[in-house]
Amino acid sequence: MTQKLNLLLASLLLLLLTATAAPAQDVKVIKFEDLKALRKNPADTLYVVNFWATWCKPCIKELPYFEAANQKYKNQPVKVILVSMDAVEDVDTRVRAFMQKRGLKSEVVLLDEVDGNSWIDKLEPKWSGAIPATMVFNNKRGRYEFREAEMTEAELMALIEKHK
Amino acid sequence: MKKQKLPLVYFMCLLLVGALLSAVPASENGYQVGDKARDFKLKNVDGKMVSMADFKDAKGFIVTFTCNSCPYSVAYEDRLIELHNTYAPKGYPLIAINPNDAKVSPRDSYEAMQVRAREKNFPFPYLLDGTQEITKTYGATRTPHIYIVQKQTDGSLKVAYIGTVDDNYKDAAKAEKKYAEEALNELVSGKPVSQPNTKAIGCTIKWKEA
Repeated sequence: MTQKLNLLLASLLLLLLTATAAPAQDVKVIKFEDLKALRKNPADTLYVVNFWATWCKPCIKELPYFEAANQKYKNQPVKVILVSMDAVEDVDTRVRAFMQKRGLKSEVVLLDEVDGNSWIDKLEPKWSGAIPATMVFNNKRGRYEFREAEMTEAELMALIEKHK
Repeated sequence: MKKQKLPLVYFMCLLLVGALLSAVPASENGYQVGDKARDFKLKNVDGKMVSMADFKDAKGFIVTFTCNSCPYSVAYEDRLIELHNTYAPKGYPLIAINPNDAKVSPRDSYEAMQVRAREKNFPFPYLLDGTQEITKTYGATRTPHIYIVQKQTDGSLKVAYIGTVDDNYKDAAKAEKKYAEEALNELVSGKPVSQPNTKAIGCTIKWKEA
């Protein structure tokens, strides 16, 4: 009986622990095929896709602007997606840790590809491969713009306003 | 007779257009494969100035824009050393150029470059492009960014390859397509480069702030 009670208590404790643990904003690991599918998503939504990495200083500088945009347009068909170019081996130690530390609210995915040459041109021939880079698109409305540059908050908001 | 003259006129026009086009300085997008590359005179980590013209016997150069602060550049350091050690004896030495502004990226200061060159025992020059003029002229946008140039019979330098080292930045042992090596092998054996443009993810160049 006590054994059963202990087991019950232990399971309850476990349940409680997992439930109270900070719900880590999760990062999904994707391949280029997934990114391509996103780029072709026919939804009437403006996707704001930013390419960044935890080791990229100018990227990190502009992340708060993307977070602000995510917040500002949360009730509108605007979706911010932060595509991390970090190595997949670093997904826990660096990417998840970074997301928790910064409390990132935007959706984060990690693109697990080691050969940029195999996919960059298929996504955007104008892109040299330097990050940060950002693309916005609404396929339903035929809107698209690509920027290979660090942006100010005003530039990002203007870009979204222009296409949303 | 008259009929024969017309194609000649066309030909002359084409030549003229060609001459005009080649006289136009590189656009803000920089060099494309086939363009003539300019030489430079930049300060090496040993304090001496280095130009491509200093290498009388070279058949060309692996001009590599790279830096201390970018993890992709660091991941490729050993492979750059290997490229130099393999291809310098075949006439293609590597010249590394750090394009980053030290104010924006302190880890790319001249002193930090000297430290890194010593630590890694770079067998090639590691130059500072303090004005960023060469970086802009070549059109480099990220680190690492490689331009393989080939010396022509008239002494000029022609861009033969622009791109990356290989297809796996994380692990040299797992690289299957060694883009730069393939291009160099073709150049060394007098063949045209079959894949003269490749791309990779890299760190943006840290431009001077206005």
